[in-house]
Amino acid sequence: MSDELEFHHRVSQFLFHEVRLIDERRWAEWEALFLEDGVYWAPATPGQPDPVNHVSLIFENQLLRKVRIARFASPAAPSLQPFPRTAHLVTNVMVDRRDAKAVAVSSRFLMAEYRRDAQRFYAGAYSYDLAPSGDSFRIRQKKVDLINCEGPIESSSVWF
Amino acid sequence: MATLIDKRPATIDVASLVEPDRTHRSIYTDPAIFDLEMDRIWHRTWIYVGHESQVKEPGEYYATTIGRQPVLLTRSSDGKFYVLHNRCAHKGALLVGDHCGKAKELRCSYHGWRFDFDGKLLGIPLEHGYDDTRFDRTGPEADMPRVRAESYRGFVFASLNPDVPDLKSWLGGVASSIDNMVDRAPEGALEVAGGVMRYEHDSNWKFFIENLNDMMHPMVTHQSSSLTARVVAKKELPPDAPVPSAIEIIAPFTESYSFFDDMGVHAFDYGHGYSGGKTSIHAKYSDIPEYNRRMDAAYGTERVAEIMKVNRHNTIFYPSATIKGAVQTMRVVRPVAVDKTIIESWTFRLKGAPDEMLQRSILYCNLINSSANLVGPDDQENYRRQQVGLHSTGEDWVTMHRDFGKDEEIEPGHFYARGSSDISFRNQYRAWKKYMTEGARQDVR
Ligand code: FES
Ligand SMILES: [Fe+2]
Repeated sequence: MSDELEFHHRVSQFLFHEVRLIDERRWAEWEALFLEDGVYWAPATPGQPDPVNHVSLIFENQLLRKVRIARFASPAAPSLQPFPRTAHLVTNVMVDRRDAKAVAVSSRFLMAEYRRDAQRFYAGAYSYDLAPSGDSFRIRQKKVDLINCEGPIESSSVWF
Repeated sequence: MATLIDKRPATIDVASLVEPDRTHRSIYTDPAIFDLEMDRIWHRTWIYVGHESQVKEPGEYYATTIGRQPVLLTRSSDGKFYVLHNRCAHKGALLVGDHCGKAKELRCSYHGWRFDFDGKLLGIPLEHGYDDTRFDRTGPEADMPRVRAESYRGFVFASLNPDVPDLKSWLGGVASSIDNMVDRAPEGALEVAGGVMRYEHDSNWKFFIENLNDMMHPMVTHQSSSLTARVVAKKELPPDAPVPSAIEIIAPFTESYSFFDDMGVHAFDYGHGYSGGKTSIHAKYSDIPEYNRRMDAAYGTERVAEIMKVNRHNTIFYPSATIKGAVQTMRVVRPVAVDKTIIESWTFRLKGAPDEMLQRSILYCNLINSSANLVGPDDQENYRRQQVGLHSTGEDWVTMHRDFGKDEEIEPGHFYARGSSDISFRNQYRAWKKYMTEGARQDVR
């Protein structure tokens, strides 16, 4: 039990750390959490089987994540002036599968975003495919299932 | 110049709000104008409803709107499609409350009246209660009313006004954009595939439709995504690496002014038009060899060359639909309020083409149309800035003067100008004014 508790604690800490890096705009550190071939995926429909044969809100490999990060630094992005502020809350963390090479974790999240004098909320589930790496983990895939993924969605630029 | 909206006169002279080279700001901000647009444009002309492939089998339905009115696209057991008012003949409840599906019949959730997919009444619980009353169970008031609908090569448009010209004549010069999109399929047909993305703009519908052939905006609005993508790709990828499709798609948004000028803009009656033709920002995508092979086998190399040399960017079927034939995507406009618009983004499979073609269309929408991508949010922010900025009474008029008087009439009713011209705006407002004033009282409030 204590090993499981400790493992659960480490996984939770990793998840909290990951979204803290987004809220604190530590983009390079955030990007470095992903494996080189790691992907970030926010499907556009519930139960979407894959990111290739159906549109997605976001489906990004390392190159596209780096483009997004570089865009964040651009003075020429009207939708990022002023830059949105976010708070990601992560809860209901469950380790679904675990072996030496792969860890599957699910959780629920709530993201508050403050932009253009208004506050918006995004909610849903995170599913992570993690690769153990020393005391911590790297991300093979972070999947974000918004509860309103197929509904009309206003524009947003920061990762959920 | 008198400020029409803020002085709230008893009437608005609609005709005075659009001149050949400028528009009055109130057409974007005044809710009374929006109401009029619903009645005189959206409820009076052909509006895109859906694609026939969305209702392949009898019993399939797809629910959407024409302007403010809920409608259904259905496939009936006679094999035909119908557009029906989504309204129960009993007390008006929506017959279908979800987006799409398949059923045995349309049964109202309120008191259980049942209808067939051609709109005909099938049955009423305790039907004899209507015996000896004025309600005629065999008359049209007992059915779901049909909307006039026509399909052009699978694209279904409908009109609440039965007196519109036939669809093909109304499409005129832009029918060829649908032709070219369909011709790009080895089997000569399209089907909706890959899902739909819906996003919400906090701005007037006309900003979106104006923007599509606004060739002076990409290099400015999309600098932070497109130019950045070029820079990052150059830095991150080895010099001899093939350019990833994502970069092929994003990078051309910051082509030069002269590139966009050369794309050109074509304009036709009813506000329709397209940009590009000989070339567009989609012209340099890498070949998908299996696709080329299947096209050659289906049409022969000569015909394929003819099809592929047509490379258009956005085609507008004013006011409701826009396609990018060269990437098989479509965006549909659903106005909600004077300052709120929902856009749907659809992708199509070219029948007989390898999956990579659909996958490229999907990638395109992920990168360019998704509300959470790198490109769309900057368009949306600029529409919003217009929506807010045009509340200023500092100046009432919005300019459409660029290259005014220089449009070239290639053939009767077909006008052309270089990409940087305001021709597309002027053409849309020529149609807008016609719709808004023809056969109606011009001063309303
Ligand atoms: S409203 Fe439909 S059955 Fe009564
Ligand atoms: Fe744009």
